[in-house]
Amino acid sequence: MPSEFERYSRQMIIRGFGEAGQRKLKAAHVIVAGLGGLGSPTSMYLVAAGVGHLTIIDAQRVELNNLNRQVLHWHLDVKRSKVRSAIEKLQAMNPSVEIDAKLKKITPKNADGLLRGADVVVDGMDNYRTRYLLNEACVRAGRPFVHGAVEGFVGQLTTIVPGKGPCLRCIIPKEPPRKSVFPVLGTTAGVVGCLQAMETIKLLTGIGRPLVGRILFFDGESANFEEIEVRRNPNCPVCGGV
Amino acid sequence: MSITVRFFANFREATGVKEIKLPTAKNVGVLLNALVEKFGSKLAKEFYEPNTSRLRDWVFVLVNGRSIKLLKGLDTSLSDNDVVAIFPPVGGG
Repeated sequence: MPSEFERYSRQMIIRGFGEAGQRKLKAAHVIVAGLGGLGSPTSMYLVAAGVGHLTIIDAQRVELNNLNRQVLHWHLDVKRSKVRSAIEKLQAMNPSVEIDAKLKKITPKNADGLLRGADVVVDGMDNYRTRYLLNEACVRAGRPFVHGAVEGFVGQLTTIVPGKGPCLRCIIPKEPPRKSVFPVLGTTAGVVGCLQAMETIKLLTGIGRPLVGRILFFDGESANFEEIEVRRNPNCPVCGGV
Repeated sequence: MSITVRFFANFREATGVKEIKLPTAKNVGVLLNALVEKFGSKLAKEFYEPNTSRLRDWVFVLVNGRSIKLLKGLDTSLSDNDVVAIFPPVGGG
């Protein structure tokens, strides 16, 4: 660890962070589910910050139309698997982080097993069907889940801590209409993915006030952040009994 | 004796306001009708399926932070000082 102090020195001097905060990050296991527009910046910043163990999950291959926002994948990676493309860059960014790559589609059958052992799960998905699977698995395990989603210039973000605040189903009980191709600017995904990494670091270090019981909306067109208070719903089919 | 309504994204565009205070309506359905009366057909188009009173799938309404989809839908009752937020969740990643 002492040899790593230089790498993290600028964050370790943040008031309240210190060596203790850095050691908490090093001891942590985070899963980033999806390595697209959100998962790219999230995993990069988590690796840069020194999260000790990162698992990345994605079943897809890189396509040319991903490259405006999925900054982990570069021109020469087109047609390669996203996990392979990602692990190369992430490991080169910080060789001291243990990174596992899983080329898997998340299903109702494997969700619990895939997320086992994680301290925090980050939502890098582009569809609610899989987000709901992750949400349910996280609620069952009492595991924090950092939700993010984007479209165009707009993004949303909330941190789910089962039992402490609402889950994703409380806030968005039903899948909104799905667009087969959604418009998005890379920087929108960058902002939200980066905030997801920030929320993860806050949860792991215990610093700050996580976005629990609040959903944050980012509107890039007006450069505006706004939040809505959200509450647990006792009728929620997922977390109502937790 | 009023409630606060907060609009986001396309609903804000259709109304031109971020937030409005209105006299307390009996329930969410009555409130949405009052909003349509105030802001006109542009908002009606955002709220309802064409020629019906059925809410479009992208209309998500929270009453004091709770989704009406898990309460009583448009029949969810309202009280003084309630805060209603109307937003379209996004889904990409």
